[in-house]
Amino acid sequence: MATEVELETAGTVWKLLVKDGAAVKEGDMLFIMEVMKMEVPYEAPHDGTVKDLNIAEGDVLEEGDVAMEIG
Amino acid sequence: MSWKDKTHELNARRTAALAQGGEEAVAKQHAKGRLTIRERIDTLIDADSFDEVGRAAGDAEFDENGNLIEFTPANFVLGFAKIDGRRVVVGGEDFTMRGGSPTTAGFRKSVYAETVALKHRLPLVRMHEGAGGSVGVQKNPTPPAPVFDPPRFRTVAQTLGSVPVASAAMGAVAGLPAARLVSSHFSVMSEETAQILIAGPAVVARAMGEKLTKEELGGAKVHARNGTVDNAAKNEVAALEQIKTFLSYMPSNVWELPPVTQPDDPVDRQEDMLLDIVPHDRRRAFDMRRVIAAVFDIGSFFEMGKGYGRSQIMGLARMNGQPVGVWGNDGRHLAGAMTAEGAHKARRFMELCETFHLPIICLIDEPGFMIGSQSEKQATIRHGAAAVLTAAMTNVPWASVMVRRSFGVAQAAHYGPDAYVIAWPSAETGPLPVEGGVWVAYRREIESAADPDAKRRELEDMLAVKQSPFPRAEAFAIHELIDPRETRPMLCRWIDRVQPLLPQLLGPSGFALRP
Repeated sequence: MATEVELETAGTVWKLLVKDGAAVKEGDMLFIMEVMKMEVPYEAPHDGTVKDLNIAEGDVLEEGDVAMEIG
Repeated sequence: MSWKDKTHELNARRTAALAQGGEEAVAKQHAKGRLTIRERIDTLIDADSFDEVGRAAGDAEFDENGNLIEFTPANFVLGFAKIDGRRVVVGGEDFTMRGGSPTTAGFRKSVYAETVALKHRLPLVRMHEGAGGSVGVQKNPTPPAPVFDPPRFRTVAQTLGSVPVASAAMGAVAGLPAARLVSSHFSVMSEETAQILIAGPAVVARAMGEKLTKEELGGAKVHARNGTVDNAAKNEVAALEQIKTFLSYMPSNVWELPPVTQPDDPVDRQEDMLLDIVPHDRRRAFDMRRVIAAVFDIGSFFEMGKGYGRSQIMGLARMNGQPVGVWGNDGRHLAGAMTAEGAHKARRFMELCETFHLPIICLIDEPGFMIGSQSEKQATIRHGAAAVLTAAMTNVPWASVMVRRSFGVAQAAHYGPDAYVIAWPSAETGPLPVEGGVWVAYRREIESAADPDAKRRELEDMLAVKQSPFPRAEAFAIHELIDPRETRPMLCRWIDRVQPLLPQLLGPSGFALRP
């Protein structure tokens, strides 16, 4: 199962916590967005591997952008 | 003499009515991936429960000997039916004839849908596809309605204060049906097949010079994100499923209580994750939907309006089997701040709960009204004040859980009169969040400090203590300060306590839902 991690809201990537190819467990924090001075963490939806990493720290992203895939 | 001839003709007419716009028109409808109105009704209702009204309505044509040549049924199908064993009124335009644009009898039947739902005090489900009036010439034009007729939309408005109304946009919906669609307690559109339009692309191109497709003008991407409809569903069948779910929380009318189901989730269930879910770092957002899932009866949360006003989460759920309205903040969107859209969504939600006497449970993480130029341009303070005053005038029981932030005027919308107020240790409350307030109130002191950043943090920490829920608990400014894991048990006990209050509320409310 591969799941796209999609941005729920526009904002800036504050911290990126995983690398392409990294193994993650469900609930692991993948990255933290800064939105309206709040930190919005994104977690792995299930166990898997980080694929197609599209973001870097400081990137300004739009709602609906795909940050990565968990495959 | 027998009436056999006439009953024979009657049967011929009934057969013709079931054929709708004819084989070709039905095939065309299917080719576009859409169901006919009769198929929609069959999909929605319990098997064999359709009790149609007005089967004989339509236009008949005769030969010179007075024999029936053709019968064209009225293009609105209407009747009584049952959904999950409960009686409802269902209806919708038949797009296979005149594109759903009403014939004389079709129009009358559409108005009767509301009239009969009011008369019988039954929920009304409308499945819309079609446009309003057409400039085309009808076969048998009738004179315009008399000047003393009641306003056309009076019954539409009356239903909103009397019986649950759920509507679905199934294909292109414009004009009158579009106005009816949104004049509902719950509306949903099929992403694959529906568009909602005041006027279609041809009219828009001619009048405005905008060249857009139906989908670009009024598809789900537009209308599930601006509050025109509450929800989007993948297709027609999924839209009808949502309507059934919505109705399962609703009473049949305002004179009856909502159906309490046999709960299968223990009242004393305590989820450990609730203890850790609110981060100590006040800047860190958390997922309020996980709190909702942990607190209410498992799997019972039905979210409405997820696509707009997204800092406010609204929906229906059950607490120990009792249908309730659920309102949470989503700190992941605009920090959970109340926008003009969020306030509009909140007002409608409270009106829905007040109309059908559903207790409201609020999970609060409200930083206040959205600030900034965009927010000022959207008249947020007016929409926000409307939400605050709506809350103040409700009569339904409220339980307000201070999960985290509760600030400013906007927080007042989250507490109805005599609310049962419980707070988590993570609760913070006051006129405004410390981060903004400290800078404004102590600016000179901060700027003149040797290390302004350190001074600011020191002041923030000092003031954050004052926003703690402990002094509020000491002053009996809240009912209880609780371990977050106790939220469900405490709310289940509260639901039990308010049961005797609910029958006293029955009947029309002081205000009903307005679109």
